[in-house]
Amino acid sequence: MEKEEHFLEVLITEEEIQKKVASLGEQVSRDYAGSEHLVLIAVLRGSVYFAVDLSRHLTIPYVLDFIGISSYSGGDPLGIVRITKDLDVNIARKNVLLVEDIVDTGLTLNYLLNNLRTRNPLSLRVCIFLDRPARRIVDIPVDYRGFEIPDVFVVGYGLDYNEKYRNLKSIHVLKDKK
Amino acid sequence: MGVITVSRQFGSGGEIIARMVADRLGYLLVNREMIEKKLQQYGIPEPDLALFDERNLAAAEQEGEVEGVNEKRRRYLEALHDLFYSMAISKNLVILGRGGQVLFKDFPPALHVKVIAPYESRVERVCKTYNLDEAAAAFLIAEQDRDRQEYLRHVFGADWFDLSFYDLVVNTGLLGMEEAACLIGKATRLKESMDGVTVRELDEWLLDSAEQPPAAHEKDAAPSPFAHSSEEDFARVLDFYRIKWLYEPRTFPLQWDSEGNVTEAFSPDFYLPEQDLYVELTTQRQKLVWKKNKKVRRLKELYPDVNIKVIYERDYRGLLQKYGIEK
Repeated sequence: MEKEEHFLEVLITEEEIQKKVASLGEQVSRDYAGSEHLVLIAVLRGSVYFAVDLSRHLTIPYVLDFIGISSYSGGDPLGIVRITKDLDVNIARKNVLLVEDIVDTGLTLNYLLNNLRTRNPLSLRVCIFLDRPARRIVDIPVDYRGFEIPDVFVVGYGLDYNEKYRNLKSIHVLKDKK
Repeated sequence: MGVITVSRQFGSGGEIIARMVADRLGYLLVNREMIEKKLQQYGIPEPDLALFDERNLAAAEQEGEVEGVNEKRRRYLEALHDLFYSMAISKNLVILGRGGQVLFKDFPPALHVKVIAPYESRVERVCKTYNLDEAAAAFLIAEQDRDRQEYLRHVFGADWFDLSFYDLVVNTGLLGMEEAACLIGKATRLKESMDGVTVRELDEWLLDSAEQPPAAHEKDAAPSPFAHSSEEDFARVLDFYRIKWLYEPRTFPLQWDSEGNVTEAFSPDFYLPEQDLYVELTTQRQKLVWKKNKKVRRLKELYPDVNIKVIYERDYRGLLQKYGIEK
């Protein structure tokens, strides 16, 4: 049923993605060369694909960890965001690179950064795969950026629509039929 | 039958002085708002000054429409003249701006005053009165002064800087408001005693009909929390992500009339103190958005240090969908 409601249009090809991820990996390796204790934190679940690919291009030692937070649901009006899966490593006095698949409003990332800052990391930087600035509410300092995209709904490379399309190797625009 | 016309530089305090003089002498203060309302009763709208602009006149001339433009100006001037003189027949008036010094130029008992102030003190006063920074105050002063010059030039063909219109020029950089009002009061009395004009003679100067009492000044109603359900939804999303917010905490004046009354203001929906950011939700259709965009542009001009983000309907729908509020 849902498949019939949408169609996909390639926005960023697999080759473009791989090239960009390799270059980001090189850049991160260069910037953190000589510094110790790099912790790569991937935000569950979408950024796992990007974080893993990125880590493959790192030429420096690092620890990979994951963090998960609840998403807003209109049916839970009194709720506030909470950590659903916390870090396993202690990031105090470590260099932290937060890896996120996409930033649009900046609300999630803002919360995560505030949360991580309270744990006294030595440094805290942000690496995002896709930047959709049109919907930004809270400005986020972005240190590494893959692609800036227009205000369209995208899937693939970890990004889903109702848990579908994460496994696509390219980034696609999800469009309504007709 | 006494008439005092007050022309002033924006930020010189001229309107306050005019009010003080009117209160002390028991004169009726005639300001732009009152004139506009009364002219509307005559069916005469406030003219679009751009219409009388030289370039527009030249264009109108080429298209053979210059007569139409001149006719509009003539009708406006006549209505203004009739209005002033009909009011003056039954009341003593303090007329703020609106070319009073030109219209009553040959009216013997009239006292014509110009209130000026050094630029720095005007900037300081405008900053204080309207809670603006220096750059915005300077912008506003330039704009208001230009408007006044253009009004006088386009409607009356008169030069705002022509001092021969005035009996008295008061510099509020040197005198306080009190002293300035006192000086104008004394000059009025002096002029009255000098004029040997009889009431009967005055009546001949003045045109017919009595005037209506001034309309009450309209004031915007205070905004109630969450004028729109979309704002409430947005507040919930902010709460969820632990973003501190204030709802409509500040109103930014955007336009003032020549008396310094705020005629247009803008209260952005939210202020996020941690981000030092104002957020305006626009759930209107695209067609109506231009008006809001215009306000936001104006706000950025007057308050360049204020950060504001407009979330348009399309962005907002995307946001709601993202957070599962609306499918």
